[in-house]
Amino acid sequence: MMTEKLSFKKGRRGRTIFVICNVIFLCFLMLIMVIPLWKVIVDSLDPTSVGIRLWPKQISFYAYQTILSKKSLYLPFFVSVYTTIGATAVGLLMTTLAAYVILQQEIPGRKLMIGYIMFTMLFSGGMIPAYLNIQRLGLMNNLLVIILPAGVSTYNIVLMRSFFESIPSTLYEAAELDGCTPLRTFWKIVLPLSKPALASVGLFIAVGTWNEYMPFILYMQDNTKMNFQVKVRELILQDALSGTAISASDDMLKSAVVVVVVFPFLIIYPFVQKYFTKGVTVGAVKG
Amino acid sequence: MKSSKEKTTKYVPPKKNFKQKMVDIYHYRWFYLMFLPVFLSLLVFHYFPIYGIKFAFYDYTPFKEPTWVGFENFGYLFRSARFWRAFRNTIELSTIKLVLGMVFSVGLALLIDEIKSVAFRKVTQTIVYIPHFISWVVVASIFTLFLSPQSGMVNAIITAFGHEPIYFLASDSWWRVVFYLLNLWKETGWGTIIYIAALAGVDQEMYEAAAIDGATHWQRVKYVSIPAISITILTVFILNLAKVLNLFDSVFVLQNDSVIKSSDVIGTYVYRMGIVSANYGVSTASGLFKSVISVILITIANKLNKKIKGEGILG
Repeated sequence: MMTEKLSFKKGRRGRTIFVICNVIFLCFLMLIMVIPLWKVIVDSLDPTSVGIRLWPKQISFYAYQTILSKKSLYLPFFVSVYTTIGATAVGLLMTTLAAYVILQQEIPGRKLMIGYIMFTMLFSGGMIPAYLNIQRLGLMNNLLVIILPAGVSTYNIVLMRSFFESIPSTLYEAAELDGCTPLRTFWKIVLPLSKPALASVGLFIAVGTWNEYMPFILYMQDNTKMNFQVKVRELILQDALSGTAISASDDMLKSAVVVVVVFPFLIIYPFVQKYFTKGVTVGAVKG
Repeated sequence: MKSSKEKTTKYVPPKKNFKQKMVDIYHYRWFYLMFLPVFLSLLVFHYFPIYGIKFAFYDYTPFKEPTWVGFENFGYLFRSARFWRAFRNTIELSTIKLVLGMVFSVGLALLIDEIKSVAFRKVTQTIVYIPHFISWVVVASIFTLFLSPQSGMVNAIITAFGHEPIYFLASDSWWRVVFYLLNLWKETGWGTIIYIAALAGVDQEMYEAAAIDGATHWQRVKYVSIPAISITILTVFILNLAKVLNLFDSVFVLQNDSVIKSSDVIGTYVYRMGIVSANYGVSTASGLFKSVISVILITIANKLNKKIKGEGILG
């Protein structure tokens, strides 16, 4: 079934037409997915690009040079990098710990712990109580608010646990017989064997944090604590609604900022993608 | 603790006495230590705020001490036309979004499943997943540029055909269409991942048996593939149903003052009431209203799920 013969013989004709139409349709769909992104890249490079043009007529790095010269964009970028790295580390630690503990079928109170995690998916205090809570804790304007709660998501924990389950349990037993403490087993055996799951969950947490917007709007007050997403939005909204004439270089700059904010992901994505398809699939099939 | 213990050990009947239980707990001491950070993180950032729900019953602004007012905040909400507008919009926007998203994802998954060339399949999957990872802020930015009446590509095409440019994001009639389309653009591809996995798990012999019985290709899809993933479809539907009222980020970044009428949802209403107007009492009340309805929805959905799945096993 891996390859199919395409033929227009009687009886196969309908099928063949379907396969061809299907491929054409999917190509068309991919174009729809890609064109808005592609157009932003083209517009960021071509000062003359307006409207329909999908290929740069001339290439200029003027917009990127302007961004590089804008010192006010450095700090938000750094805030984004800092929170993303911090949150990914914290989130991966929390997710793997929770998943590993829940993996223990015999541990007293297992149901309580699962319930404790699941409940967070079911019910939450909502925006204002969360806001007042952060205020009361004295964590307003502190980037730890972004980093610390990251990653303890039920979805990620379930995904991670399904992955741990695929590690043969004899390995754990052998480690225990050899006198490994659970902490050591976790560190020396479980984690090294779960690289695909770590890569996929890590990507989810990293992208989630990189893309974070609302917590910054809600909990950060200083301009110096804002991340790149907040800056991008500020730049885009400048005179977007006022209807004043927008110069071509303005649009170029806006496009370039969008490219810069998506770029890190597009670099990492091809390397991690093969892992996460596998990781997510394991989780999905187990339900 | 005791009752939950008994439930987990359904298949291990011997009852343990207190001392044995303590021995067990001691045996697992390291695991409890490992659970501690997770416990604390959820406690501080998730369970603490739940205590703040009490402000739904208080008159509370930053400038005065909270005073108990009972259900007055809810009374205010239920009399407010804006709240009901937000409620209606939430239901409408997220239901249509949910149904459209699922139909398109299942359809796309079935089409991708028809592709037998591994390379083409991989390329397709890689590309259709990309938009999922782009934040709503950036999606809004990209499409603000893309749909801009002055320089956007879409309007350039429209004007090339001699029509007036359309300000998609500032027009009450267009905003919702754009909202649904952007949701489809961003999430359809990613939505397929779970169905593709489920389709890959379908026993190939079923297809072969159907083929021997003379089923056409379409019949095989209809009577083997779709029933095989129906449980997955249902599960995804129920999980999403639980989140129906949580609509916020996507609306917030696409919204502007000229389309408030058709785009205001409970999430953005809470934000305006609570953060912009600093009326903590009323906004907590509307948040609580939302959460309670969500819980009811989840409970009903879960019951339905059990019923349908149970019948599926029997029949």
